[in-house]
Amino acid sequence: MKTIAYRLVAVALIGVALTLTTDVFLTPANLLNVLRQASLTFLIASGLTLTILTAGLDLSVGANVGLSACLAATVMKSTDSIALGVAAGLGVGALVGVVNGLMITLLKLPPFIATYGMLWTLNGVTYWFMGGDTIHGFSPGFRQLGSGYWLGVPVPIYVMAAFLVAGGIFTRYTTFGHEVYAIGANREAARLSGVPVRARLNLVYVLSGAMAGLAAIVYLARLNSAEADIGEPLTLPAIAAVLIGGTSLFGGAGSLSGTLAGALTLTLVVNGMNLLAVDANWQPLVTGVIVILAVWMDVMTRQRAEARV
Amino acid sequence: MRGISKRFPGVRALDDVSLDANAGEVHFLLGQNGAGKSTLMRILCGAHHPDAGEILLNGAPVRLTSPADARHLGVAVIFQEFSLVPYLDLAQNIFLGREPRGVLPGTIDHRRMHAEARRLLDTLGVDLDTRTPAHELGVAHQQVVEIAKALSQNARILVMDEPTAALSDHEIDRLFARIRALRADGVAIIYISHRLQEIAAIGDRVTVLRDGRNVASFANAGNFANPENLANLVRLMVGRQVETTYRQKFCEQPGEIVLDVRDVDADNGVHGASLTVRAGEVVGLAGLVGAGRSELARAIFGADRVVSGTVSMNGTPLGRGPVSAVRAGVGLVPESRKTEGLALNRSVADNVLVAGMRKVFPSGWYCARAAAHVASDIVSRLKIATPSVGRLTRFLSGGNQQKVVIGKWFAAGSRFFIFDEPTRGIDVGAKAEIYGVIDTLVAGGAAVLMISSELPEMVAVCDRAYVMRDKRIVGDLGRADLSEANILRLAMHHE
Amino acid sequence: MNSPPEGGHYVRAVPGAAYLLAILIVVFAIFGSGFATVANVLNIGVQSSVLLLLALPMTLIIMSEGLDLSMSAVLSLAGVVLAWMLMNEHGLPAALAAAVGVGLAFGVANGILVVALGLPPFVATLGTLGVAQGLALVLTGGQSVVGIGDVLPAVYDSRPLGLPFSIWIALAAFLVFRFTLSKTRFGAYVSAIGGNREALVLAGVRANLHHLAVYALGGAMAGLAALLLTGRMSAGHPTAAIGMEFDAVAAVIVGGTSFERGKGRLGGTLIGVLTIGVVKNGLNVLAISSSLQVASIGVLVIVALVIDSMLQAVGARRRGRTLPA
Repeated sequence: MKTIAYRLVAVALIGVALTLTTDVFLTPANLLNVLRQASLTFLIASGLTLTILTAGLDLSVGANVGLSACLAATVMKSTDSIALGVAAGLGVGALVGVVNGLMITLLKLPPFIATYGMLWTLNGVTYWFMGGDTIHGFSPGFRQLGSGYWLGVPVPIYVMAAFLVAGGIFTRYTTFGHEVYAIGANREAARLSGVPVRARLNLVYVLSGAMAGLAAIVYLARLNSAEADIGEPLTLPAIAAVLIGGTSLFGGAGSLSGTLAGALTLTLVVNGMNLLAVDANWQPLVTGVIVILAVWMDVMTRQRAEARV
Repeated sequence: MRGISKRFPGVRALDDVSLDANAGEVHFLLGQNGAGKSTLMRILCGAHHPDAGEILLNGAPVRLTSPADARHLGVAVIFQEFSLVPYLDLAQNIFLGREPRGVLPGTIDHRRMHAEARRLLDTLGVDLDTRTPAHELGVAHQQVVEIAKALSQNARILVMDEPTAALSDHEIDRLFARIRALRADGVAIIYISHRLQEIAAIGDRVTVLRDGRNVASFANAGNFANPENLANLVRLMVGRQVETTYRQKFCEQPGEIVLDVRDVDADNGVHGASLTVRAGEVVGLAGLVGAGRSELARAIFGADRVVSGTVSMNGTPLGRGPVSAVRAGVGLVPESRKTEGLALNRSVADNVLVAGMRKVFPSGWYCARAAAHVASDIVSRLKIATPSVGRLTRFLSGGNQQKVVIGKWFAAGSRFFIFDEPTRGIDVGAKAEIYGVIDTLVAGGAAVLMISSELPEMVAVCDRAYVMRDKRIVGDLGRADLSEANILRLAMHHE
Repeated sequence: MNSPPEGGHYVRAVPGAAYLLAILIVVFAIFGSGFATVANVLNIGVQSSVLLLLALPMTLIIMSEGLDLSMSAVLSLAGVVLAWMLMNEHGLPAALAAAVGVGLAFGVANGILVVALGLPPFVATLGTLGVAQGLALVLTGGQSVVGIGDVLPAVYDSRPLGLPFSIWIALAAFLVFRFTLSKTRFGAYVSAIGGNREALVLAGVRANLHHLAVYALGGAMAGLAALLLTGRMSAGHPTAAIGMEFDAVAAVIVGGTSFERGKGRLGGTLIGVLTIGVVKNGLNVLAISSSLQVASIGVLVIVALVIDSMLQAVGARRRGRTLPA
């Protein structure tokens, strides 16, 4: 809890800085926009958080979003059914998760390599059936999911809140969640305590894929269009959000609320850059630096903890 | 080495330890794991610096600031984990860091390196091709390469750490022949081993360390062909128990068979193991280091794969893997509690609950309050000294950490407990408490299988014991026959 | 099974990838018209040269149990710098030095992050990827840098002794790397860093320095590769090389280098690079879309990894006790 407090303070500080330096920051429109964007990042990063909690990693989330969104769009256009499109998107996302999980538990491939290979495979498949085409123009009902407002608040924020709560319940109030933490903290000790490690790992990667699928649907609704490369810029910010949020790459420590704080922080930084008219091309650079700093802090924390016995 | 002391964060590894080695002699260095042998040798080879004390070579004090210094002074250490690089060939491995220079700066003169390596291997009477990659060699040959490496450094002091741990009898004989040749050549050899039967075979002198201190030294290793003397040695290694009560009373009438192991072969080397444990009994699993006791325990628990045979709990055969064993009521308290028994970065409560999830929360819903309640209950029952159940187990003492591991199985409702070296590295008071716990367990009808290298403990705690050697069960001692000497007799070669 | 070694390194006689390559060549030659022509073969060679320049140092990095995901972004950045220097009429040698310098700087940065700070390589280099990519985008505003003059295109298009310039560079790089790996101490130590770093330290070698040098070399080679890429495109573009680091990793893995224990072979990497080049070219000839090519390479990597891990498991079971991984 203490770590979340620090992060929220950081968020507040950035907010204050931006309020002072721009006149647009503190307007409702901008704030809601920030929240909406952070919600989207959070949705992708939430499943990813679970995999990192087990001392693993899912590098394929961004590409997964891309593929799921394009597939959902294609299905929606050709069958005129939103429901089928959504099902396709979620289904593909989850299926990718299943394959990732199997590569890691059955084939015993290191997670970062398995999901990295999956990343490029998904990229390729997406480009293949999309070509250079863009699919756009979906039903207004569907678009409400991404661009609509309910009680004055953008819909994606409700989705984010729903999954924040669901994820929080999963990690804190289910035995599955606690076993995930145990696996991350010491996988062998967990195994020798009767935790069904492989089953939990598979679950975690399926969830990561499914959340990517869900995020894809919301993205699609927001952008109202799909093309092959929408997933590409999504992976790095998702990882950054998780790391900034305090979840350790070494496993066993972290939380979804931390990831939300991380997503907020990142979105605020990007928002600030936009408002201050900083060239958008700086964003990958800043994200890269943030990732390095976040990992460094993670390593330092680990080293300090271990020296303290 | 005189008066060597060394502290690491949180633990005093060595306290005023002295050791000397003479040319042309094999000096055995004995001690339990954690007694300080490895630390002492690492200081000797320059990898660590002592906080106090001095090292003298041929009477003159020397300063070893790095492994290179030690090498120049003629010290070579062959560690238990060999220092060979798997995908480099033998010649390169032998001369790692000291390769003969080639024409261009930074290059290696391969021809000369291989020729030198060939010469060394010939001296040792080995026919290996110097171009073989290290990973293709069996353990015995890897060891020869390590010896060649030491020879190439003109070592006058050779330290060997558990050299025979993975060798066959035949290979051991060849190794001893080489050691005798080195001895005849005037090399001083410091020999660390748990295999007590080797002392009489190859040793000249013996020194025992315990808890980072010198305990005893003996000048005539030949005396240790006698098992009584060896039992004495073991007692010196593990220390005299101070007035601890072991068991309240032994099991008069054991109940039903709880664990039934039949003809088990496992992929960790265990072969043809059969044993039974009844309710209310504490059964021991004795043997020397490397005999296969932990391997058998792991096989029973499902941590390692059982290839053939059956393991049954209360008549029902267990499925594969720890999940099935835990659900059937088996609990394993492993030898390395920090790496295999606990998640150090998690709280006492988390660790206590991890095996009992199914039992405490059968619906899958986790309630923190109920968890804390269960944890507090266990903490008080086992008298775990912790300010709160939320404290990270990393900060607990060894004894209390062990109690958390035991508590984990309490919470899981286990009825059969496997203890692997339960009191190692634990202070006397906590030891007594753990014996009390074992008493309570079996009084309540549970069954216990206990592995211990402390022979007095084994004799005083167990109702009966199986003895293992070379990954097989070789004997079965009932209460009347259970004595240290009998255990050793069965546990060693050719008795 | 003793074959002439690569210096101190032992390698199996023929890498499995060679058979795969042979099969692919035969299949494409039969089904693709225009595949088996001299012009096309040279084409494959030219297309593969840039990748080889990346895959060679990547082999060393993977041998040392590391990874460098930033290479492609560094390559793009170096290309931009190179083009910019040429555009401002600084002459080719100076421009090349600048490009290699930029690459070297990023390589050293990677080395510091991984070796000195102890960050996990894939995340650390993911971060530097962002930084390099960002820098490239910022400096160019997302646009290509054109107007690089005639010198570089002329050099690039030249064909000394009938072979294209880029193939000469790739060949030279391969030979230099081969020499380094087999004949120098550095080459032996690279395998040790991955196979048994502790042994190296105990042998008194400055393992950290050599470890850092491995990453620095990767960066420098990315700078050199910028020469070829910019020459080919006659421009410097900030996102020109996206995805190449994956191809490089794929080439190395398909070629038989493993992530553990210091096992590596440059010959295998060369075959891996050629395999990727053949796959891409062949699929082009068969008019199969380029995106499916990417997907198929992804699958190729996974298959190669699976085979590698299966072989390791079989080998471990056969031996009683193995060396520390």
